[in-house]
Amino acid sequence: MIVLGSTSEVAQAFVEKALQEGEKFEKIYLFTSNKETTERFARHIDVKFLQQAEVIELDLTKEIDYNRFDNINSNVLFCAVGYLGEGTEEGLYDNRNTERIIDINYSKLVPVMNYFAHKFESRRSGTIIGLSSVAGDRGRQSNFIYGSAKAAFTAYLSGLRNYLFDKKVHVLTIKPGFMATKMTEGLPLNPKLTATPKQAAACIYKAFKKEKNVAYVLPVWSIIMMIIRNIPEFIFKKLKL
Amino acid sequence: MKPNFTQKVTNWGNFPVVEKEMRSEDSFKKIKEFVLNHNEIIARGNGRCYGDASLGESIFSTKKLNKFINFDRLNGVIECESGVLLSDVLEIAVPQGYFLYVTPGTKFISVGGAIASDVHGKNHHAEGCFSEYVIEFKLMTESGEIITCSREENSEKFWATIGGMGLTGIILTAKFKLKNIESAYIRQESIKADNLDEIFKLFDESENWTYTVAWIDCLQKGKNIGRSILMRGEHAFQHELPQKFSKTPLRLKKKLSPTVPFYFPGFVLNALTVKIFNWLYYKKQSKKEVKNFIDYETFFYPLDAINDWNKIYGKSGFIQYQMVIPKEAGKEGMKRILETIAKSGNGSFLAVLKLFGKHNPEAYNSFPVEGYTLALDFKVNSKLKKLVDQLDAIVQEFGGRIYLTKDSMSRSSLTNYLKNIQNPKFVSLQHKRIINNNS
Repeated sequence: MIVLGSTSEVAQAFVEKALQEGEKFEKIYLFTSNKETTERFARHIDVKFLQQAEVIELDLTKEIDYNRFDNINSNVLFCAVGYLGEGTEEGLYDNRNTERIIDINYSKLVPVMNYFAHKFESRRSGTIIGLSSVAGDRGRQSNFIYGSAKAAFTAYLSGLRNYLFDKKVHVLTIKPGFMATKMTEGLPLNPKLTATPKQAAACIYKAFKKEKNVAYVLPVWSIIMMIIRNIPEFIFKKLKL
Repeated sequence: MKPNFTQKVTNWGNFPVVEKEMRSEDSFKKIKEFVLNHNEIIARGNGRCYGDASLGESIFSTKKLNKFINFDRLNGVIECESGVLLSDVLEIAVPQGYFLYVTPGTKFISVGGAIASDVHGKNHHAEGCFSEYVIEFKLMTESGEIITCSREENSEKFWATIGGMGLTGIILTAKFKLKNIESAYIRQESIKADNLDEIFKLFDESENWTYTVAWIDCLQKGKNIGRSILMRGEHAFQHELPQKFSKTPLRLKKKLSPTVPFYFPGFVLNALTVKIFNWLYYKKQSKKEVKNFIDYETFFYPLDAINDWNKIYGKSGFIQYQMVIPKEAGKEGMKRILETIAKSGNGSFLAVLKLFGKHNPEAYNSFPVEGYTLALDFKVNSKLKKLVDQLDAIVQEFGGRIYLTKDSMSRSSLTNYLKNIQNPKFVSLQHKRIINNNS
């Protein structure tokens, strides 16, 4: 398995869930922006499941040397890369913040995804799982830079799924909704709408096994987002969402 | 949206509930920042203590310190971060033929919590507290420095931290020994006792068993006082197991665990329903003595099978009252305690009675002293404080003390027994309450 965004608690929970379910991987490649914590995770799965793992530092905002990844191959790619940034008014007009959100969630991420997708395509097998966001379903004033980047990523995954379909590679889009993770810590989220990383991992694993195309982590989110998507624009623009 | 880390926090008893800052980090660098930038910090594991022990002005949750570091499968030594739960340890240890040397009545506590509370189990008389098997741990001190503590290195901090209720710093990782088992099953004997004399005699006779504990019906009066069932057990050897278990002796079938879906309304638990429950529990076993093999989950963690069982006490919450009375005064003291509870009518399910072995003098902050310990749940209501006061008075008269992990309202003369923990950086609400009551 190849994991992009390995510091993500959802990514780690998914790896554990898959191993617990008895999935076998020759090696797990953990791409990360934080070597220290990810190395601890690599050790953890070695102790717990005797699973070999390699930690690879990857900073999406810097030039990437793809030669380093020549020998990396697998049949599952899990992408949990995500960067919320500052959703405040200061954040909106801070170009560095805006660029960083777009870079990490979309523009710098897609070439990396493509690089591995190409390997899957040549092998004609495998599954690519991408964590997008409900924020990408409709732009709202509270976080639309992040939302628009995720909307682009959702469209990318949808196109990739279509492109890879007759190449026997499956693409799964996950729209998590609220999750109790580092990214949202301290935000006032309704606990009934919030999934723990463990819950999310279990749901993603199920969607993975069932070869779903698009899955929301908590079912209630598919209803919420259906309503939000269908509010007429002349009303929607007046709402404070 | 700006993050706001202030939130409602409460432990297993749902009492008290406070609104305090709570943070969780997995990077040691960030934990250090947190320690340097906050005051009156207390570490909190899985929140399975009952009262205010792991509540503070600034709470550091170890829930993200949940990684294993090493498992020496040859020698049975495990090293992990402090937020790893005992259930996580069992998950990897049992299939390899290892078990925890000491476990409390729930497996959903963190390793850090086990050290800070120096937890005990049904084998205290034979194998002591959790600390006896701790080889070393890493502690973050008030300066953000990480020190290794063991019997040889920083031994002063090692012993102050054991049973020290988190008041010496934040435990980050720990290394401890596991015991060998041949099977995941326990050979159990349950013996009914009609009264206090009988149960005390049974405890003495069962001295050589590794695990002993009694369930006691604390609503009985007069000649029935102390009506109870003693359970004693040993880890079963593979050869003695019935055939259905002996083929895969270290693997248990997955069981479904029901969840209590909501807080029960206050009237559900009253003296009558508890009386009926206790009566049924006692009558369920028709014979005087039953011998059988049961899996370790059922033997050690019967309540873990019901998720969120604390909700049956309703939204107002409950306390667990656990004290110990020195052995010589045990019988008289226990009789007075039970009489007081029966009279109050504020009964509890499944009160637990146990005979502790000798106190480990090195682990001076550890709660268990040789004698009888009783643990029971009380729903929080207007009469509770008075009952606790009455019970405290008896415990004091007989020279006993209270288990801090469960305390939330006892008098400080029974709870102010920790030493070498003065440290303005790490302070819990419990500690403040105890100190303030004293002056």
